[in-house]
Amino acid sequence: MSTRIVVDHLARVEGHGGITVELDGRQVQAVRFDVFEGARLIEGLIGGRHWTEVAQIVSRICSICSSSHALTSIKATEAAFGLMVSPQTLRLRDLLNRGENIESHALHLFLLAAPDYLEYPSAIHLAADNPDAVKLGLRLKRLGNSIQEVIGGRCIHPVNCVVGGFASMPTTDRLLQLRQDLLQGVADAQAAVAIVAGLPPVSCGRVDTIFAALDPGATYGYYDGDQIVVRSARGDTRVAAADYRSLTAESTVAHSHAKHSSWQGSPFMTGALARVTIHGHLLDEGSARVRARLGLGVPTGDPLQNNLAQAVELEYDIRYTLALVEQLLQDGLRPEPPLRPQVRAGHGTGVTEPPRGLLVHSYTYDAQGFIREADIITPTAMNAAMLERHMRGAVAVSDPENEPELKRRLEMVARAYDPCISCSVHLVRL
Amino acid sequence: MTKPKVGFFGVTGCAGDLLNVLNCEDQLLDLVDLVDIREFLMASSEGDHEVMLDVAFIEGCVVSQRDEDVVKAVRQRTRLLVALGTCAMWGGVPTLDRLHDRGALLQQVYGDFGRTIDTRPAQALDEIVKVDFGLPGCPIEKHEFLAAVANLLNGNLPQLPHYPVCAECRFAENRCLLGQDGALCLGPLTIAGCDARCPSLGVACNGCRGPAPDANFESAATLYQSMGYTRAQVERAMATFAPLPGAVH
Ligand code: SF4
Ligand code: SF4
Repeated sequence: MSTRIVVDHLARVEGHGGITVELDGRQVQAVRFDVFEGARLIEGLIGGRHWTEVAQIVSRICSICSSSHALTSIKATEAAFGLMVSPQTLRLRDLLNRGENIESHALHLFLLAAPDYLEYPSAIHLAADNPDAVKLGLRLKRLGNSIQEVIGGRCIHPVNCVVGGFASMPTTDRLLQLRQDLLQGVADAQAAVAIVAGLPPVSCGRVDTIFAALDPGATYGYYDGDQIVVRSARGDTRVAAADYRSLTAESTVAHSHAKHSSWQGSPFMTGALARVTIHGHLLDEGSARVRARLGLGVPTGDPLQNNLAQAVELEYDIRYTLALVEQLLQDGLRPEPPLRPQVRAGHGTGVTEPPRGLLVHSYTYDAQGFIREADIITPTAMNAAMLERHMRGAVAVSDPENEPELKRRLEMVARAYDPCISCSVHLVRL
Repeated sequence: MTKPKVGFFGVTGCAGDLLNVLNCEDQLLDLVDLVDIREFLMASSEGDHEVMLDVAFIEGCVVSQRDEDVVKAVRQRTRLLVALGTCAMWGGVPTLDRLHDRGALLQQVYGDFGRTIDTRPAQALDEIVKVDFGLPGCPIEKHEFLAAVANLLNGNLPQLPHYPVCAECRFAENRCLLGQDGALCLGPLTIAGCDARCPSLGVACNGCRGPAPDANFESAATLYQSMGYTRAQVERAMATFAPLPGAVH
């Protein structure tokens, strides 16, 4: 007998998507992650735009990762024009990326994912019974937003980060306030880890997984780097940013506006779990204790561990950011007008690690500095195929007769990937 | 007093306006006490899809039949409909499609598959249904959203500024990027309410809140052209967040 299990419209994610599973008895016929988000065609819409305008337009692809879209765009434009920015600019970009990661992980862990484990429909319902946990999550989320406001000038669609640097420097007063907030954040992060460690275990199956993450160099981070590491059972492979297409041989799939990526024919996973798996050795002692407390062992084929990896990053980033802000306060910020590039015809590719994993922007400019072509590949698009595999894994460990439980597991797997669906539909040409 | 029933919805957008509602971290739990949130899919898996609402907030623009169906269904079940953000109010970045051949863009981004998807030129909500009030901003400003909720709770429709960003810039005693630096700053054309966020940081306004009442595009275009920008560049800049008056699909 064939049955169809449908999650019409997935709640507590960014954007519009659904899940369909077709079963023949216990046999899985098909598993689909559908995207219903309308086509905004943003890579097409930046055709003909001046290099000074591009980052501001593409940030509108997605709000939660808007700082990353802006920074990745700027990285691609600077690569096209061969512009090297100052160490101070790189530090501030690092800070902006970490602010986004803190906000996004706090939002995801506390407002979107935790209600699943505790079986509440939302954090608002959860707050009725456990206000402290929700308030803690909101404080951490606000901290991430404050960092983005101070550095980026706005917590969504930042305006202060531009090609060549930053339009204005944050004031000492605001950095001091941020330092205050971060001190509270360090304590909050420990409490957050305790809450995540205490969530009841749920099993959604395990599937052998290939991971991909940007090599950040000597420091665990999200902005620096131009080499992607792919880790499979056969070992590591390095892919240069400019060759990103070998990693994203994409195909359009009929049920979704999103296109599926694969590496040498196999789907792969990107995001916090991939980063901790490949670059976890760059984290410090404190993070090792957090990992032990959370019971996060890598590599793992369990997609829900991505939630734990986010908690590890959240805790680390807050401590790291505090140290960075203290360093900035000590060194002082030099006024530094953004560097002007030597505009020329050419290509440039920028890759960074937003909260959900690898993001690629690749542009071709004409000699006057107007966009001729643009490719944007988002983490949710890269993850889509692996997400479907992991949902199959969840079906395999579930009783198909128990539809509510099966749906809950499917939703938890989808949510663990923290999909950003507005992002996923803006994909490259084939 | 019974709490007003409200719903938060999204059609095609970046979720930034809905996220900025959740970003009111210090007020969120109070907000939940003051209004009865019946639907907010981005935040809750429990939704009441039938109940009549007092206020519905919708983010995003309409680019598909599906979007149109959602917007019409929400209109049917709400007393007041608020367009949340620039996409909902003016169409936003997706309406840049009016400067391009949309068929060619679809082919470029999706290949032949582009012909099979439910998609059409981007429109603002008021091109589809009656909108009672709009909150501009890409994204909305949190203080304006909270003030609007307070007004609605008191039975008033919120007021928007009637002056452009330039007025806020002068008030802040900013250096004028247009007059002094020759930047293509859209402050004179853009509705105020952001405290001249960008010019205060030394960045030209790109018009993310949409047009101010009485914005005179033609005379501004002449001014920008006299500063050395081409007509095409000026028109594209002015159309980034809201179609120019008279721009059709
Ligand atoms: S108005 Fe701006 S913030 Fe709101 S949905 Fe549109 S792009 Fe996003
Ligand atoms: S100054 Fe202009 S671009 Fe900046 S936030 Fe205000 S309206 Fe938007």
